[in-house]
Amino acid sequence: MASRRRTLLKVIILGDSGVGKTSLMNQYVNKKFSPQYKATIGADFLTKEVQSDDRLFTLQIWDTAGQERFQSLGVAFYRGADCCVLVYDVNVQKSFDNLNNWREEFLIQASPSDPENFPFVVLGNKVDVDGGNSRVVSEKKARAWCASKGNIPYFETSAKDGINVEEAFEVIAKNALKNEEEEIYLPDTIDVGNTSQPRASGCDC
Amino acid sequence: MLTETGGESSNMKASGVWMNNNNNNNNIEVEGEREVESPSSSGYVGERGSSGSVSSASGTDGIREVRDDGDAVVDDDDDGVNLVGDSQGEWIRGKRHADEDDASTSWRKRKKHFFILSHSGKPIYSRYGDEHKLAGFSATLQAIISFVENGGDRVKLVRAGKHQVIFLVKGPIYLVCISCTEEPYESLRGQLELLYGQMILILTRSVDRCFEKNPKFDMTPLLGGTDAVFSSLIHSFSQNPATFLHAYTCLPLAYATRQAAGAILQDVADTGVVFAILMCKDKKASLHPDDMLLLANFVMTSESFSPICLPRYNPMAFLYAYVHYLDVDTYLILLTASSQAFFHLKECRQVIRIESVLSKSNVLNEVQRSLSEGGLRIDDLPVDPSARSGSLFHLNQRRPSESVVAIGGPAGLLHFIYRSIYLDQYVSSEFASPISTPSQQKRLYRAYQRLYASMHDRGVGPHKTQYRRDENYVLLCWVTQDFELYAAFDPLADKGVAIRICNRVCQWVKDVETEIFLLGASSFSW
Repeated sequence: MASRRRTLLKVIILGDSGVGKTSLMNQYVNKKFSPQYKATIGADFLTKEVQSDDRLFTLQIWDTAGQERFQSLGVAFYRGADCCVLVYDVNVQKSFDNLNNWREEFLIQASPSDPENFPFVVLGNKVDVDGGNSRVVSEKKARAWCASKGNIPYFETSAKDGINVEEAFEVIAKNALKNEEEEIYLPDTIDVGNTSQPRASGCDC
Repeated sequence: MLTETGGESSNMKASGVWMNNNNNNNNIEVEGEREVESPSSSGYVGERGSSGSVSSASGTDGIREVRDDGDAVVDDDDDGVNLVGDSQGEWIRGKRHADEDDASTSWRKRKKHFFILSHSGKPIYSRYGDEHKLAGFSATLQAIISFVENGGDRVKLVRAGKHQVIFLVKGPIYLVCISCTEEPYESLRGQLELLYGQMILILTRSVDRCFEKNPKFDMTPLLGGTDAVFSSLIHSFSQNPATFLHAYTCLPLAYATRQAAGAILQDVADTGVVFAILMCKDKKASLHPDDMLLLANFVMTSESFSPICLPRYNPMAFLYAYVHYLDVDTYLILLTASSQAFFHLKECRQVIRIESVLSKSNVLNEVQRSLSEGGLRIDDLPVDPSARSGSLFHLNQRRPSESVVAIGGPAGLLHFIYRSIYLDQYVSSEFASPISTPSQQKRLYRAYQRLYASMHDRGVGPHKTQYRRDENYVLLCWVTQDFELYAAFDPLADKGVAIRICNRVCQWVKDVETEIFLLGASSFSW
């Protein structure tokens, strides 16, 4: 293979049901928007290859279901995530209030090695609705919350009109990459002289 | 282990010779240094607690026709013998069809997929298609596994129409096979185990620690350039009976020649060399039979020094393998625990000495001769019990296999595999007409594989004999505590005669066992 050194980034999208997670993903990956609402069951997966700073990487996007009944899937789904995207609907106060729960739930379940610096991105979606007249969460309020949680990058998006979607995912990818830590792989060599030769201990094969 | 010198556990020094035939894929020879207790006794009763309870399985108390065995009908469909693009030579180059992904029609039509992924759903290996393009598919597999795990359960097998999806979880590594080849679940699961073993051979289980510290860990770069190793292993699943028998096979050699080769290698089992192995070019052989298989599958280049891990020996740590070709078919592997040993092994006396002694003592010539002559041929089966000969090598009567057009054995015998349980070794007959094309051979191996799985089915077994007839073969399997015999006959073969022939085969194998098996190095069970 020519370019073996490629990076794969696992991105989890979280937020209340109906805030537009699937639509954002569809807009980003397929450049499509459907006004019909179809609840995600469990999770959907999409793949997008991105070029950034001369590096080729692949975003593996986990679009999760917002309904509470799916939240037990957390541990399984969040494990090994490189970035977490929190989405709320600027027209629904509750979806904004819940951001805190989503964030905390993620940190508990995924238990990343450095929770303080784990890369989140917050998206305030549906800014197009009603020309912005039905908006209940102000940009100022959202930005204040993001600042209080360790300066989480914030974008106001419209999955329908494709506003800020590309830009937001660019930052998502960049932040995920920034957090990339090289795990040192250091296997041992068998010590033949040692009488207590570990014999396939713990191997169940 | 192969052979052991020194104390029980302090020195794991050993030496051996494996040889494998390049043309006919099932000849390996293993050579150890330990004396054979009694060359005339049946090898399997040898070393291991032969307290007398195990009476020699001689021809007299052989297999008998048992009425209630009945004629089982096996649904032996054409199970995808012709995988798309599965021609010789293509697989060896590495990844095939890298441009495909799960949206491609061609990808969906592949009969057998293999995937390795991490417990976070990141792809590590896919037989077909580009791993990164399959990231979404890989995530789906992880979601399925994790979803079931969440409920405190484990998913082993999913059937969907003609497809089986087999899951194997090894700590942070998930392995999945999706197949419509109708191979039994146990066989496919065994193949996933080998695939995992191959990965461990390349990386050791140290990768587990990386995942513990960092679940985001991306293993793919560590496996860079090893596509060919995995492809060739997967290819061997339908070519090499060692992959389901968990046994290795020896190159036929006169007893004295094998002894000589063993003695030469014993000399080098010193100065830090843990194992010395001599193999023929083919990569289809095996160590703990499975380790040997994976090691042989890994050897690709002419001369090399590479860290390798033997999963059954110690899955956590590396040994270093120095590979040196003595001629085009035969190579020497020295396994050492020292990462600094390359120049020592290359420059110093050891290799040069082994090489010169092996050629002076004529071992290499004998090896070449045996390679060109091939192994047991069904048309050589002595039909008259009184005309038995204890050697394959008498009077130089053996002909080079190329010049022989075999037409099948007596009573419609087409092929057989004999596996010695105590020796972890097997011998199989050369393929003869009408089983002459790769796809026919593959079909027969698949049939054996099903037979093996059904005989070893823990739910209903153990079974002693099985006789089944379908439109392709009569298959006869006979399992005792000493050996397992798998034989294929013409579909019109008579049952009684077939059983008689099986007894002959067992007798024949015993008569020539010093030449086709390595005796005295009875086990690799570390």
